[in-house]
Amino acid sequence: MASRPTVTIIGKDGSPSGATHTIPTVFASPIRPDIVQQVHTGMAKNKRQPYAVSEKAGHQTSAESWGTGRAVARIPRVSGGGTHRAGQAAFGNMCRSGRMFAPTKIWRKWHIKINQGQKRFATASALAASAVPPLLLARGHQISSVPEVPLVVDSAAFEGGAAAKTASALAILNAVGAAADIEKAKKSKKLRAGKGKLRGRRHRQRRGPLVIYDPEVDGKELVTGTRNLPGVETSSVYALNLLQLAPGGHLGRFIVWTSAAFKALDKIYGTTTKPSELKKDFLLPSNLVSQSDLSRLINSSEIQSVLNAPKGGPLTKRAAVQKNPLRNKQVLLRFNPYHSTFVKNQVGQQKAEAGKPPKPPKAFLELLREN
Amino acid sequence: MATPNVSADLVWELVRNNNSYLVKRKESGGVQFSRDPLNLTNVHSRKYAGFVNTKAIGVQPAEKNGVKVISKKESAAQKPAKSTTAVVHNGGQPTRKIYRTVANQTAKSGYRPDLREAAVARVSAVRQSQREPKPTPEKKPRGAKAKKAAAPES
Repeated sequence: MASRPTVTIIGKDGSPSGATHTIPTVFASPIRPDIVQQVHTGMAKNKRQPYAVSEKAGHQTSAESWGTGRAVARIPRVSGGGTHRAGQAAFGNMCRSGRMFAPTKIWRKWHIKINQGQKRFATASALAASAVPPLLLARGHQISSVPEVPLVVDSAAFEGGAAAKTASALAILNAVGAAADIEKAKKSKKLRAGKGKLRGRRHRQRRGPLVIYDPEVDGKELVTGTRNLPGVETSSVYALNLLQLAPGGHLGRFIVWTSAAFKALDKIYGTTTKPSELKKDFLLPSNLVSQSDLSRLINSSEIQSVLNAPKGGPLTKRAAVQKNPLRNKQVLLRFNPYHSTFVKNQVGQQKAEAGKPPKPPKAFLELLREN
Repeated sequence: MATPNVSADLVWELVRNNNSYLVKRKESGGVQFSRDPLNLTNVHSRKYAGFVNTKAIGVQPAEKNGVKVISKKESAAQKPAKSTTAVVHNGGQPTRKIYRTVANQTAKSGYRPDLREAAVARVSAVRQSQREPKPTPEKKPRGAKAKKAAAPES
């Protein structure tokens, strides 16, 4: 990296505050959707509550098989008489009011252990992706009025509980160009299809911007200020969560950074060579290729200098229309170069020579008539 | 791109399977279209994926039969608010003149010469869509119907 790219810090009113900050090294980490997706599926499973059918379900009857010889299937049958239930098949998963096949148990493996190295890699990867505008667009964020990506807002805007009220927090987010994304999340609230409605997941809606702050500098008031804004989430920079950084395992969450949080990233993640101060034994993952632009790779002097010249001449062009050599003189000449002399000397007009052909020489005739 | 780890080629590999603009249908052998405003053909492909490429052209209908031509600024890739410029050709302009300006914008300046044909074609399609449809001619009855129609008058 010749010169570290910088990002301008945006003031409370949405105009640049004049200050800049170099982009932390974590934004140059490799973007690996495969790792992010795998870690995400694991992490998403870690909040599950165990469920199972009742242990007794389908077994609360004293059914016994009738054995062979009664011309009915050997499935256990409810004993007794005097009711329709008597003699009905029981227990089996194919029976009415029987037990289900392989009844679910609460000791299913609900939680997934994910290696810490992978989790950290995925977080770094998701952070790097959050600084790529095309990936934000691909996730569906409305960023057409955002002045810069990554979007860093001066911590002075949040100072002293300035964003403690929803109205003031919304005013700041609107000023920095996040209005469209919040509006999209707000309008997207829909009733969920299916039984989830009855199970505490009544609505579904899009995710809006994620505000990342530094609790030591910015305070925690902005959490209360933004919690009633639909789609807006907050997170401390010291406790980033992949489920928020890459919802659904899709990279490119729209993140609003406070400048204090943005500055803390270098301390939290370190660089590819300098270990992190807060994470034990952690170096940022480095890229396998330093140049991912294919056309620049192909056109680089290093590649071009070792390439062979293209083999074979230009392809022969075929006439689009097959021309008739009997009518088209140019085509005829290509087939028969003698034609021009033939015409010029008027060979076609000449008559065959008159008179008798000359007699063969005497010697020849003698040879012919030998014997 | 601000960081050297990202390029349009990489972004395309990340988004080609799924993105917010992509429309996948099982019909017609699984067609894939794109809702990207910077896509000239609405086809989901590397060449026409405007939001991925650093340079791209988009053609959209504008008010009063106008045509809006959007293009991406390479230098402002990290600044979404400033990254596109829009030129509106108003509806009074002759279509061929718009073709020429759009062709010049794409090819003559060497911006995206490969998109010239598609851009001009899209301008044409936009203008075509803005034209008021001709009134359908009245049906001329023939045969028995014609006789029937003529009979009550006489």
